[in-house]
Amino acid sequence: MTVTPSAKTSPAATASVSPDDVLKHDRPTEKFLCPINANAFIEFLEFRIRDVDTNQVMFEVKRPSYEIDWNARDLSGSDELRTINYTFPAAFLKYKAVGTTLVFAVCPAGISNFRMIERHYFKGKLMKSFDFTFGFCIPGSVNTWESVYTMPPLDPKQIEEMIESPDQTLSDSFYFVDDTLIMHNKASYRYAT
Amino acid sequence: MGLLTVLKKLKQKEKEIRILILGLDNAGKTTILKRINGEDISTISPTLGFNIKTLDYNGYKLNIWDVGGQKSIRSYWRNYFEQTDGLVWVVDSADRPDRFADCKAELHSLLTEERLAGASLLIFANKQDLPGALSSEEIAKLLDLKAIQTHHWQIVGCSAVTGDNLLTGMDWVVTDISKRIYMLD
Ligand SMILES: Nc1nc2c(ncn2[C@@H]2O[C@H](COP(=O)(O)OP(=O)(O)OP(=O)(O)O)[C@@H](O)[C@H]2O)c(=O)[nH]1
Ligand SMILES: [Mg+2]
Repeated sequence: MTVTPSAKTSPAATASVSPDDVLKHDRPTEKFLCPINANAFIEFLEFRIRDVDTNQVMFEVKRPSYEIDWNARDLSGSDELRTINYTFPAAFLKYKAVGTTLVFAVCPAGISNFRMIERHYFKGKLMKSFDFTFGFCIPGSVNTWESVYTMPPLDPKQIEEMIESPDQTLSDSFYFVDDTLIMHNKASYRYAT
Repeated sequence: MGLLTVLKKLKQKEKEIRILILGLDNAGKTTILKRINGEDISTISPTLGFNIKTLDYNGYKLNIWDVGGQKSIRSYWRNYFEQTDGLVWVVDSADRPDRFADCKAELHSLLTEERLAGASLLIFANKQDLPGALSSEEIAKLLDLKAIQTHHWQIVGCSAVTGDNLLTGMDWVVTDISKRIYMLD
């Protein structure tokens, strides 16, 4: 039996995915729900995680330069580039408030409605869902969003369980322009003692 | 953190409130926002878009939007009016004298916006630490605040550098919003 290459392409990879679709997810997706080149709109410049009480930065990535040529972006990367594997000190699980900061540049045409949904799972179970609507983004702008949230106090047993289950803490991040999925990233988290 | 304390005051009813910080370029909007969040304020550059803080506290949510004040960006401010509960107008109290007319015109034009009609208005007379700074009374006069009949308003002299009075101001605006929402039902 021969399988044509097109038969291998799953419908999920081509049909457009909406916010309502991903809000129904109750476990991490098996694959990425849009191609990398669906994103003609935004470019991440920085991402940072800080402990709010001490203002100590736990994690930081920065793009080297702010110069973006929107006509010649390289969107050919492999799926590995859309996955981040974090290792945090176990002390992270005891922080009362954590702030995540995202800095992103917007294409010269601007965006009329930008939205992010992030689903967090532990051992395949949905733990938390973030849903934030940025709405309009100014053409050619650089924007910053910090989300500060208080962490639920975890008892020592839960903390131990999370430390002993590396890579069982997972998240899917979905970014939508006008309710169409343009970017999908995944992350895994492990806590080291 | 200071702002989380302010947020604790929110009653069950107002699960989510939205505050918009506007003002001319260089007024100190971003510095104020960072300062009340306990962040470093030494390397702030002009805002070329927005700068948002979302604070989530026991299910209460405070969204603060700081949009750049450069002339070329001001025409986009209107995209951020929707659902604003509180407007914070930031003034550089030591600004060049010729900029106050512009500052007054921009503020009064915002107050005619239908989508900002219900918003509480806080005016921060910022940079009080500078020797040439005008007092909040003088700023109130220059901006003709007395003429404002349409909004609950309050002016607070502050400094984003020393942190003076920032929480007093934020506390006023959050409290005023809570009261207003409470009275509606
Ligand atoms: N002395 C003094 N300087 C201040 C104060 N607040 C802000 N500044 C300075 O004023 C300059 C402008 O501050 P920003 O916070 O970037 O002003 P902004 O209103 O966000 O400006 P745009 O983003 O262009 O709209 C910076 O150099 C700050 O350090 C203050 O209270 N006192
Ligand atoms: Mg700014």
